Amino acid sequence: MSKGKRRAVVSVTAVAVALLAVGLILGFTGGSGQASDITYLDGSTSAWMYKTGHRPLVPDFTGRTLTGASLRLASYRGKVVVLNFWGSWCVPCRSEAPTLAVLSEQYRSRGVSFIGDDVGDTPASALSFTREMGITYPSVNDPGYQIAQELGKVVLVNDTPTTLVIDRTGRLAGVIYGSTTYSVLNTMLQDVAVS
Amino acid sequence: MADVDTPESASAEDGTARQFSDSAPGAVNGPAVARTPAAGVSWPLWAWRQLTTMRTALVLLFLLALASVPGSLFPQEGPDPAEVQQYFTSHPALAPWLNRLGLFNVFAAPWFAAIYILLFASLIGCVVPRTFRLAGSTRTPPPRAPRFLKRLPLSVSYSSPLPPGEAVSVAASVLGGHRFRLRRSTDSSAWLSAEKGYLREAGNLLFHLALLGILVSIAIGGIFGYKVDKLLVEGQSFTDTPSALDEQNYGRLANGSDLAPFSITLNRFSASYITTGDSLGQPEAFHAYLSYTSSPGAAPRSYDLQVNHPLSVDSAKVYLIGHGYAPVFKVTNAKGQVVYDQATPFIPASTSTFLSDGVVKAPGASPSQLGFMGVFVPTAVSVNGSLESSFPAADNPVVSLIGYSGNLGMNSGPPQSVYQLDTTGMTKLPGSPHVMFPGQTWKLPDGEGSITYTGTQQWVSLSITYDPGQVSALVFGMLALGGLLLSFLVRRRRMFVRAVPSESGSLVTVGGLTRTDASGGFEDEFASLSVELAEAHQRDPATSAEPEPKNHPETGA
Repeated sequence: MSKGKRRAVVSVTAVAVALLAVGLILGFTGGSGQASDITYLDGSTSAWMYKTGHRPLVPDFTGRTLTGASLRLASYRGKVVVLNFWGSWCVPCRSEAPTLAVLSEQYRSRGVSFIGDDVGDTPASALSFTREMGITYPSVNDPGYQIAQELGKVVLVNDTPTTLVIDRTGRLAGVIYGSTTYSVLNTMLQDVAVS
Repeated sequence: MADVDTPESASAEDGTARQFSDSAPGAVNGPAVARTPAAGVSWPLWAWRQLTTMRTALVLLFLLALASVPGSLFPQEGPDPAEVQQYFTSHPALAPWLNRLGLFNVFAAPWFAAIYILLFASLIGCVVPRTFRLAGSTRTPPPRAPRFLKRLPLSVSYSSPLPPGEAVSVAASVLGGHRFRLRRSTDSSAWLSAEKGYLREAGNLLFHLALLGILVSIAIGGIFGYKVDKLLVEGQSFTDTPSALDEQNYGRLANGSDLAPFSITLNRFSASYITTGDSLGQPEAFHAYLSYTSSPGAAPRSYDLQVNHPLSVDSAKVYLIGHGYAPVFKVTNAKGQVVYDQATPFIPASTSTFLSDGVVKAPGASPSQLGFMGVFVPTAVSVNGSLESSFPAADNPVVSLIGYSGNLGMNSGPPQSVYQLDTTGMTKLPGSPHVMFPGQTWKLPDGEGSITYTGTQQWVSLSITYDPGQVSALVFGMLALGGLLLSFLVRRRRMFVRAVPSESGSLVTVGGLTRTDASGGFEDEFASLSVELAEAHQRDPATSAEPEPKNHPETGA
């Protein structure tokens, strides 16, 4: 009986350890571990800013715009860049487009350049979109999502739209997942463009 | 050989009537297995024993299978959120209840987790004590030989010129040569116990450990693996990055940053169908001609992707799981500006004819937005005035469009499916439905613009999977099979020899015992072993006193 009991105890312990291990694995799901380096905006986790000194360097990219001109991110060094991933097929992109158009005009004189990255789209449909929305800044033609993947090295471009704010030194300062609102992007630009 | 069969008193000694203890996992702690807790046995211990019985494990396994059935009966959140939404609108009373029961996300439901955690616990609780028991049984010698070997299911007696002690030695060398584990008498009586077939328990154990291994492999796949889908039109390319994908399912510890950084271009898709006979229209072969780069900047390579012939790239596998047509439309607005020009994937409504449905949305059209609901007919025939498709290949492609103008509802609100048109804010255009052949243009009424059906392309649906537990699951699967075979083919069996003095030397009795539920064959083995023993026992005392022969005489009846 005592031997049997000891074995039962050993078995129960083995199971407990195994379950604990599984539980730990399932419990610690992700957690980027950078919470102290960032500040969330707007009370949600879908928009945040990196604190100065914790901003990752954004990899350079080159591309062709919807109108055929060549565009290189590095040539914007010294300016604040708002990089917006969008597509004419994307409904939240349509709702945020007027905001982007307004802010791009408003911050033009303060050294802020807007760049679009048109993903999963055709130039004809995309140009119709920019014409309709009154967007004057250039957009890279990126049907295969190549730039989205490139930038994935520093921040996951999880969905369309995603908006990135890059500071004057080419470092990532802010990230907005989903449709941009005036207040969130304005807050970021106040911070990055004015400082 | 004298047949001495003397009925003895019923007082059987230790091992005579003892059968091999069955491998019931609960039996570790003695015979008080699945009873209600007797005096002195605590409830938790009783519950634990109940849980770790084979019966419980089998019931849980069955429950697991049963519990995954709703996963295929109801639309699931993970792979098909749109279908779930649709189910909610079509079954407004039932859907919330199903949702409460977790039936729209079966594999993440608490009750599903409960079943597999219990199964896991049951298996561990079953295997761990068995490991101890096997380890113990490999150390323990066979039981003492029963006093009355004639009572065993198989027994034979004969006389031998050898004295009892020597007869037992000869028997030991014969049975030892057959790799029996031996135990000899230590007292004055001359007997020998021999046991063989430990591989049975080892096979059984291997099966259970491998079963655990399979579960762990599946868990590893579920934790670290992912499965994502992408619809790709001919001539288009995509990069394996979250925003480019249509459906994404990640394991607990996997996310979009774990995706392999490849990109794929679909150069051309070809499908061939059977053109004659009863299976007319059945698919013959699918080829998706891809070019891909395994990482940004790598040299592009080409691949002919076929069904069940996946592309392996960066430890992920790309499968061809579907295909369809993507008619190309060009929409102009009232001013003649192009507002839409792209291949538009249509979803096949019928896989035998590939009659497909799709939607064109031109939110940039002015003065009002334009939307079209379309039907694509790959091989159009007119049946009583209505369009039907007679063959899945695009031999005579036609589209039929119903046009709408108004508000597409795209400027605000929740994301829309690109395959659905919300016509609540729109009015149907006169002249709908409008049938078009490739190259034809429909001038929309009231100068709203035009739509041109420029041509037809095809799309493929790709599934990209990464399952790090796949290989180990296969290995454990094979081990489980091997263990099962071992435990079916090998039987635990015992041979006993007793020798008592007689005038001419000794009277030898040989007994054999095996599990009663095992497959037959022991009778033959017993017969040949006892013949071999008898022959060895007939030899001259001088001969058998020699050192053991290396080569044992083969058994011959």
